[in-house]
Amino acid sequence: MSDARASKGRDHLIGASLCVAYVLLLMGTAPDLAMSRDESFYVHAAKNYSSWVTQLFTDPLSAFERDSIDQAWSYNWEHPALMKLSFACSWLAQKHLRLFPSESLAFRFPGMLTAGLLLWLIYAWGASVMRRQGALFAALAFALMPRVFYHSHLASFDVPIAFFVTLTAYTYWRALADRRWVPLVGLAFGLALATKHNSWILPAIFLIHFIWVRRDETHADRIEHSSIAWLPSMLILGPLVAIGTWPWLWHDTWGRVLAYVTFHIRHVHYTYEYLGVSYFEPPLPLSVPFVMTLFTVSLTVLVLSLIGLYYRRGEFRPPRWTKEGDITDRKADVLWLGCMLAPLLAIALPTTPIFGGTKHWITAYPFLALFAGWGLLAVTEKAELGMWAGRRWPQWGFAAFCLLPSAMETAHSHPFGLSHYTPVVGGVPGAADLGMNRQFWGFTTGSLAKWFTEKLPEGGSVWTCDTTAGAWAMMQRDGSIPSNIQSAASMSSADFVLVHHEPHFNEVDYQAWVAYGTVQPAFVLRYEGVPIISVYENPARDD
Amino acid sequence: MAEAGRKLSLAVWVWVLIAGLAAFELVVHPLIRAAIPSDESWEAASTFVRAHYQPTDRIVAAPSWADPIVRGHLGDLISLRAAAPSDLAGFDRVWELGIRDATTWDELPAVEEDFDGVRVRMWPVSTDEVVYDFVEEVEHARVELVGTDELQACPWVSARPARGGLGQGPMTPPERFVCDPRRPWLWVGATVLADLELQPRRCIWQHPAGTEPVRVTFPNAPLGKRLVIHGGIDYNNERRRAYSPVTLRVWIDDRLAGELVHHDGDGWSSIDIDTSELGLDRATVRFETTTKDPRAKARFFCWAASTQTASNR
Repeated sequence: MSDARASKGRDHLIGASLCVAYVLLLMGTAPDLAMSRDESFYVHAAKNYSSWVTQLFTDPLSAFERDSIDQAWSYNWEHPALMKLSFACSWLAQKHLRLFPSESLAFRFPGMLTAGLLLWLIYAWGASVMRRQGALFAALAFALMPRVFYHSHLASFDVPIAFFVTLTAYTYWRALADRRWVPLVGLAFGLALATKHNSWILPAIFLIHFIWVRRDETHADRIEHSSIAWLPSMLILGPLVAIGTWPWLWHDTWGRVLAYVTFHIRHVHYTYEYLGVSYFEPPLPLSVPFVMTLFTVSLTVLVLSLIGLYYRRGEFRPPRWTKEGDITDRKADVLWLGCMLAPLLAIALPTTPIFGGTKHWITAYPFLALFAGWGLLAVTEKAELGMWAGRRWPQWGFAAFCLLPSAMETAHSHPFGLSHYTPVVGGVPGAADLGMNRQFWGFTTGSLAKWFTEKLPEGGSVWTCDTTAGAWAMMQRDGSIPSNIQSAASMSSADFVLVHHEPHFNEVDYQAWVAYGTVQPAFVLRYEGVPIISVYENPARDD
Repeated sequence: MAEAGRKLSLAVWVWVLIAGLAAFELVVHPLIRAAIPSDESWEAASTFVRAHYQPTDRIVAAPSWADPIVRGHLGDLISLRAAAPSDLAGFDRVWELGIRDATTWDELPAVEEDFDGVRVRMWPVSTDEVVYDFVEEVEHARVELVGTDELQACPWVSARPARGGLGQGPMTPPERFVCDPRRPWLWVGATVLADLELQPRRCIWQHPAGTEPVRVTFPNAPLGKRLVIHGGIDYNNERRRAYSPVTLRVWIDDRLAGELVHHDGDGWSSIDIDTSELGLDRATVRFETTTKDPRAKARFFCWAASTQTASNR
């Protein structure tokens, strides 16, 4: 099948440029973001793992013993190891080579790199099936989604899994036409499995797509059929790679795999505010991933995605409509549609544990962006924009204009990425009116670093609410908070108390009132006029 | 040709639509930001309220998410009771600082001023007068744990407050009655509860110990025309609707005057006891909490009560 253009060096040069530019942008803006709650756990895990990696080189025999593995790998066993291992290696490099200006950046760099690589991949895949303009638009549309931009900074798994899911889909798609790619499907799937459990749905998506392609080929009476060799590759190589990169599973493998799977199937429900209701148990409304996407991704990009879907509607024609002798292909659009819809639908299922945040279906967004690329091409081609003045600049100008809202919103969302909402909902105040989730993970504390530094010149302590002690300690090591301003264990012993505003944190607000005998915050951190954090000052503290 | 022309026309319209959407986003975003009231607007509105404030006024925010901003400016005028009321008894006027045309009140205000995006409105309210607020007087109560054979007195002590945190329930005040140090939840004191709707409620924490009552007695409490009692359970416990009901029995001079049976899901509920027929100016008022679950699991019960009489104001 030859339904794709081979990527050229120029394509990879553009992709690599996107990658490098995005990583540099992320590195430049990362100091504004305090570590999030989950990052602090992964940092702790990565430090444990780094001890084991060091042991692997100094005492390899004992490193493989169960005691050594359990000691290093039992912390945060509920998430696979790949990214935490990469954080550990990056940190080790930082310890020995001082590559990064701050410790947090050392941990975050591998995640940023996957974000950059994902742009490269979106562009490369897009450019192999559509005009480069559309592919470039897709990569930039993804990069400039405010929440994607936020998550791309983190030492976490969400953007990395978006990269590995997209990579696995790409290798699978390539393997349909070229058997040399078959082992790479298994390898990529293994890396996805080793990153996060979002990967579990991939075989089902691919199988549906494959059946579609094969039936299409059968109806067209093609002699050559796409090979299913990718499936054994995924099912054999995938788990081997996942287990191979996760020493925790090297002993009591089945028991621990079962515990890992069970943990996520019976995952604790996060409390999540949506349209004025704080949901704490399923079912979350079916509309959540769709409405949250509408409220957090640029409307221009979303409409272009819909136009792209409409433009490519012929590709979604059921196989039974295919006639003998028809030309068939690998149905990239069908695959993209599957990869886009599956994460959204998985979260929408009434039995799915409540996760809430857009990060849980972020794997859908590269494909949404690719359809936006098609949409852009459809609009510019159909409107014959290229004919204007006989030049190409109107097309590029239009593409740039369509990206401007995303760029502006992303720039403005920083460093409040998870609190940001688009103009569709009336921005952040409109979302607050509607009762939408305002934040999670306590990362917004970073925006108070300067305030605390000024308020506590002689040092002191802060009760940090949703910001973990580990995240606070990282702010100290990064130099954004002086080391003599400590994280307090108790409100009553702290100089200041933070309250991160989410409805289910109201009880913490009320606790502060009682602890300090006042309802008056000393400072209210706001974003677009909406309270993000209240800071209470202990009336008993020494001035 | 006509078909081609029609298609071209539609495509151009789609192009215009997309360009229009992008323009919409680009224009609306700064408009949203421009509509956000400045600190100066909040300060001017607060100065106005402060100049007209009286101690029996209540200050609220509209929409409710702006509440921390209002408390930041005027929190020194807002008592715990005013911030976390059970009812409006005792308040003569409500001041509202509102933005985005939000309001907490449908009626026409007696005062309305706009401060560049922050609207100040005031309504006089006709409420009963509070004769005696049991929450504010809790330290003068007597607290006992009623056993099968004996009464165990719970002393009023200065004790370490809780650390605070999500899911920890209401904050233990620095001074409270402590009944059993081995059961850290078995204390009585004034705190603020997050009720089922996550609203703040200034109340007396009185976690039941099981079937044997936890008793709080207010000797010689002034009575009015009615005794109004509210009760609820901490949001984290009540929302699961999984535990036994809590019973609050109220005794006036050793006579059972009322009973509030609180089931999970009831939210901040209340009873209203008519005391006008008793012919008493003062009485001993006793509040006892029990629950059928002997483990008394997660019954973070908190109540507020006041004696009230018709206002002469």
